[in-house]
Amino acid sequence: MRLPLAMPLSLRVPLLVAGLMVLMGIVASQLVLSALNRAQVRQLTDLAEIEFRALSTSLGPYVQRDDIWEMFDILDRATLREGSFRPISAALVDARGRVMVSSLPEAHPIGSNGAGLVEEAIRLDDIRFDAASERIAVRNTVVWQGRPLGQLVIDFDVQEFAAERRRALFSLLLGNAAAILILSVAGYALMRRVLAPVRRLTREMEQPGGTPQPIAEALIPARDAELAQLYHNYNGLILAVQARTATERRLAERERYVSLGRLAGGLAHEINNPLGGLLNTVDTIRTYPDRPDVVRDSAELLERGLKHLRDVSRTTLDMHRNDDGASPEKVQLALQDFDDLHLLIRPEIERKAQILDWRIEADGSCCKGLPAGSVRQIALNLLLNAAAVTGPGGKLGLRVKPDGDSLCLCVWDAGPGFSDSVKPRLLSDEPVEPGGGLGLRVVRDLVKSLGGTIDLGRSVHGQNEVRVRLPLRGRHV
Amino acid sequence: METPWLVSRRGILAAFPGLAAISAASGAKARAALRFGLTPVFLDNDWQLLERLSAHIEESTGLGVEYVQRRTYKEVVALLLLGEIDAAWLCGYPLLQYPNRLEAVAIPLWQGRPLYRSYLITADDRTVEDFAALRGDVHAYSDPDSNSGHLVTVARLLELGERPEQFFARTFFTFGHRNVVRAVARRLARSGSVDGYVYDALAATEPELLARTRVVWRSEWHGFPPVVVGSEARGTRAEALLLRALFDITQTEAGREVLRMLQLDGFVPPQPDSFDSIARLMRLVSERG
Repeated sequence: MRLPLAMPLSLRVPLLVAGLMVLMGIVASQLVLSALNRAQVRQLTDLAEIEFRALSTSLGPYVQRDDIWEMFDILDRATLREGSFRPISAALVDARGRVMVSSLPEAHPIGSNGAGLVEEAIRLDDIRFDAASERIAVRNTVVWQGRPLGQLVIDFDVQEFAAERRRALFSLLLGNAAAILILSVAGYALMRRVLAPVRRLTREMEQPGGTPQPIAEALIPARDAELAQLYHNYNGLILAVQARTATERRLAERERYVSLGRLAGGLAHEINNPLGGLLNTVDTIRTYPDRPDVVRDSAELLERGLKHLRDVSRTTLDMHRNDDGASPEKVQLALQDFDDLHLLIRPEIERKAQILDWRIEADGSCCKGLPAGSVRQIALNLLLNAAAVTGPGGKLGLRVKPDGDSLCLCVWDAGPGFSDSVKPRLLSDEPVEPGGGLGLRVVRDLVKSLGGTIDLGRSVHGQNEVRVRLPLRGRHV
Repeated sequence: METPWLVSRRGILAAFPGLAAISAASGAKARAALRFGLTPVFLDNDWQLLERLSAHIEESTGLGVEYVQRRTYKEVVALLLLGEIDAAWLCGYPLLQYPNRLEAVAIPLWQGRPLYRSYLITADDRTVEDFAALRGDVHAYSDPDSNSGHLVTVARLLELGERPEQFFARTFFTFGHRNVVRAVARRLARSGSVDGYVYDALAATEPELLARTRVVWRSEWHGFPPVVVGSEARGTRAEALLLRALFDITQTEAGREVLRMLQLDGFVPPQPDSFDSIARLMRLVSERG
């Protein structure tokens, strides 16, 4: 029998104990009943031997003299005795199988066939006892002065013996049931107690929403070396995990700054480019201060250039502020964020003379409920990665579209695709091997925290594509 | 309840003849008690009857009573002949077997007459109406020397032209009239020969036993079993004392109690022809050849 695995250990053990007790009870009961049976058979045999000896001695002379009345009287009186083991009836059968006399002459008249009586009876030296029977017929040869005179068949009343056996069986059943019940309950209580430290450990590991914490030193059972070792090992594990998480967090942080650094380079370039034109415009105004048309045109040119610089700096500030964790969850995603992204990534694209395909196919309602900071970080990391793996002059793109209850961000590039060593960073929770950046693992963590999914596939043009689906009203883990 | 002891007068008979004690055998010393012969045909609790009988005799005669019990008539008769006992209550049949040595000195009165008869009984649920229908039975007799429990039946079979040893499939002796009734009631025997007086007396004491039997045939009347003494005791003072005790049995409370238990009316001296009918049966049997 297999116990269901779902059953708790504290229940399984008492059940096993109860099962073993039942088994032991059956075996023990069988042994007791068997011993009782042997004792009863021995007792029956002794009593029967006494009875046969007494009756044979009494009957002998009368059998020899064929004194029917005295034979009958002796058998009749024997059956009238009181007692737990008494003859109910008795019959004497001669060598030819005819009834000489019976205490029940109506059933076995003198001279009738008594062979059946003898055949149905068991021999005195081979008494067996069937618990179900209330009487047993026993036979033995009556010998007088060395001469066999006939077969004496006595029907004994064994109701008392059967009742005694029933009482023993009942007592055994009752005793076993009580023992099983008590031991099961005790086993359950004991197992509950023994397993209490394990349950505490389990509770610690299952803390909802929070990260497992080391168990306080005071709670570690000092008397139980094995459990103490288990607790210490658990604490060691928790501390190792916490250390690894902290390291990963620090690496992710560094990665963010690295990417920001790369962006900063692009931004400097972005700012620097219009600066030359703007300075030239300032010179033009100085040169032609009296030409209103030139001044007006130059002023407009200056305004456009400065606005551009303002946009660039604001976007960078927004990005930086969100990444600093200033309640980014409170800032909801808007289409404007994708414009900002475009602004941020463009210098990097232009630096590498790459071609960016930018398709925003969603409207504002498609972004409802998504945190702006996280989504921008996801898209930016993927785009930077795409730009990095795509050679100079190569193509890459972003496509944002609604997908049922989700928002789908697809970033594709003409690069060679992810290597097997890089894929786990994006697709699994396996520890990050040292030596690589953490940008993709940050994407993985952010998508997971938003309840989204990441797939690798092919774009409509056959390029490698990363598809991120973010549920608009899903739960944020 | 009356006379549980009753039953077999054989034993009772044996009781009285104490008398002889005195004289005979040992001669020199007079005995202080009557020795009275009994057979076990009495009922189990007949000691009460015997105690009362002793009390009556002692009150009437000043003699104590010593009971001597044997199983068969033959044994009691032997004791009488040897002078080991003074008197016994016997059947007419053994009396007549020793006409010169034994003498009847008193006969009980049953229902006002010194007569009784023999019954042939069978199981109550058996539908036989005459003697002939008992052929092939297992049959219970009382005692080989009993008139009503043996002789009457054998003689009757001879009168019917039957051979007694072949008429019944099997016979046995129970040595007690009550035992004959038990044997038939328990179906050990299919029929039995029993003393009519004992059988009728059982109606009062053991009706449930009797209910399982019924009478098939009744014999003619015979002299009631008498109290017998050995010839040596005739004319002695002891005999005279015993006879006085018997004939005056109604004079004491104990004596009347004895009669009530025995369902008898008293004792009378025997007449010369008291046992002629039994003698006739004996002749019939002995002349059979």
